[in-house]
Amino acid sequence: MALGDLERDVMTQLWDAREPLTVRQVHDGLSRDRDLAYTTVMTVLDRLAKKGVVLQQRADRAYRYAPAQSREEMTAALMLDALSAAPDGVRDAALAHFVGRIDPSALTAAIEAARRDPGVAP
Amino acid sequence: MTALLLGALGLTLSLVVPGFLAPARWPDRAPGAAVLLWQSITLAGVLCALGVVLAAPQELVSELGSGRPVGAAALLGALAVAALIILRLAVSLFRVGSRSRARRARHRMLVDLLDSAERHGELPAEVPDGLRVLHGPLPIAYCLPGRSSRVVLSSGALRVLDAAQVGVVIAHEQAHLRHRHDVVMESFTAFYRAVPRPLRSRAPLDAVHLLLEMVADDAARRRGGAAPLRTALALLGDAVSPDAPAEVRGASAERRRRLDRLAGTDPRSAGLTVAVATAAAGLLVLPTVIVVLPWLDRALSAWPL
Repeated sequence: MALGDLERDVMTQLWDAREPLTVRQVHDGLSRDRDLAYTTVMTVLDRLAKKGVVLQQRADRAYRYAPAQSREEMTAALMLDALSAAPDGVRDAALAHFVGRIDPSALTAAIEAARRDPGVAP
Repeated sequence: MTALLLGALGLTLSLVVPGFLAPARWPDRAPGAAVLLWQSITLAGVLCALGVVLAAPQELVSELGSGRPVGAAALLGALAVAALIILRLAVSLFRVGSRSRARRARHRMLVDLLDSAERHGELPAEVPDGLRVLHGPLPIAYCLPGRSSRVVLSSGALRVLDAAQVGVVIAHEQAHLRHRHDVVMESFTAFYRAVPRPLRSRAPLDAVHLLLEMVADDAARRRGGAAPLRTALALLGDAVSPDAPAEVRGASAERRRRLDRLAGTDPRSAGLTVAVATAAAGLLVLPTVIVVLPWLDRALSAWPL
C-alpha cells in the first residue's frame, strides 16, 4: 500500500472522529480491514504533523492527534489557492490552466456556506 | 553604433511589437506557432540586451576617447538598462521557479489527502493516474504541473458534466501537462517581472496564456470532438457573474474566443503555421546578425588576401 494512500486514510480517520485520537485508536480503526504495524501509523501521524495538517496534543501520558482544519475548510482553502493569482495580479504559472475560470466571489460564498453547514455532503 | 542599434531593436521588440501582435486574431489559426513567435520575440529582446552589455563598454571607451559626451551618455544609459534587465531576469527566473515548485508541492500534498475519487461513479472508464477529485459544489477543473502531476476536478464539475465532457476536460488538462505549458508560462512570467516597470507589458503574458489554452483545446478536440468540449467550456464558465471584476470578465471574453474556434471546422492552417514558425526562427537570428556582421566585416577586411 502506497504511503500516500495510508496518509489519506489516516486523515479520514481523524476527520471522521469527533475528538482527537491516540495512535492506538487510529491504528485500531485502520487495521480492521488490513494488516498494519503500530509504528507505521505512528510514523505517518508524525509526518502529517510535520507537514502542518495534523496537530499533536499531549494529554495524560499519550499524544493525541487532531486535524488542523476540517475537511471542508481544507478543501475551500485549497480551491482558493488554486484560483488565486500572485500579488501583482500576474497569473501564477504554478496552478493556472483552468478549463473554466471562476469568479473569486462565488468561491468566497461557497466557503462561507461550507463553514455554516459543514455537515453537507452530496 | 552596434550597442545603440541593439538597444533600439530590443525596445521595439518588447514595447512596440506586442502592441500589434496581442490584439491580432490570426494567431487563433496557428496557436502553437504563435506561442513560438512570442517566445522568439521575447528571447530576441533578451539577446538584444545581452548584446548591448557585450558591445557597449568597448564602444563607450572609443566614444569617450574621441571626445563625444552625448554618444557616451546614450551608450551608458543603454548599458545600464540592459545590464539591469539581464540581472533581474536571472534572479526572476530563479524566484518564479522555486516559488511555484514549493507552492505546487504543498498543493499536491493537500490534494492527495483530500482526494475522494473512488466515491464518484461519474468518472470515465479510463481514469488517468494523477486524477484527483475535490469535494465541493464549485465546478472547477485544473491541472497541477510538475514531475508528479495531477489533474484536479471538483465534484461540482462532475455533477454538471457527462462522461464524454469529463473525458475532453481531462484530455485538455493532460495536454497542458504533456507539453509542459507551465514552463512556457513560467518563463514569460519571469521575463515580465524582470523588465523595469515603465518598460514592461502584460500583453505577451495574457496572449500566450490564451494561445496555450487553444493548443490544449485542439488536443482535447482530437481526442473527443469539439461538441463536448464546447459544452464543458460553457458549463464550467457559468460561475462567472455579470458583475464580476474586470479581470474575470476578460477571462469570459477569452472563453468566447475559444468557443468561436470550436464552432466550425478545425480552424488551424498548415500554411500559416509554417509561415509563423519561420518568422519566429528568423527573428531569433536578427540580433545575432547585428552583433556578428560588423565584427565579421572588420575581421574580413583585416584578412590578408
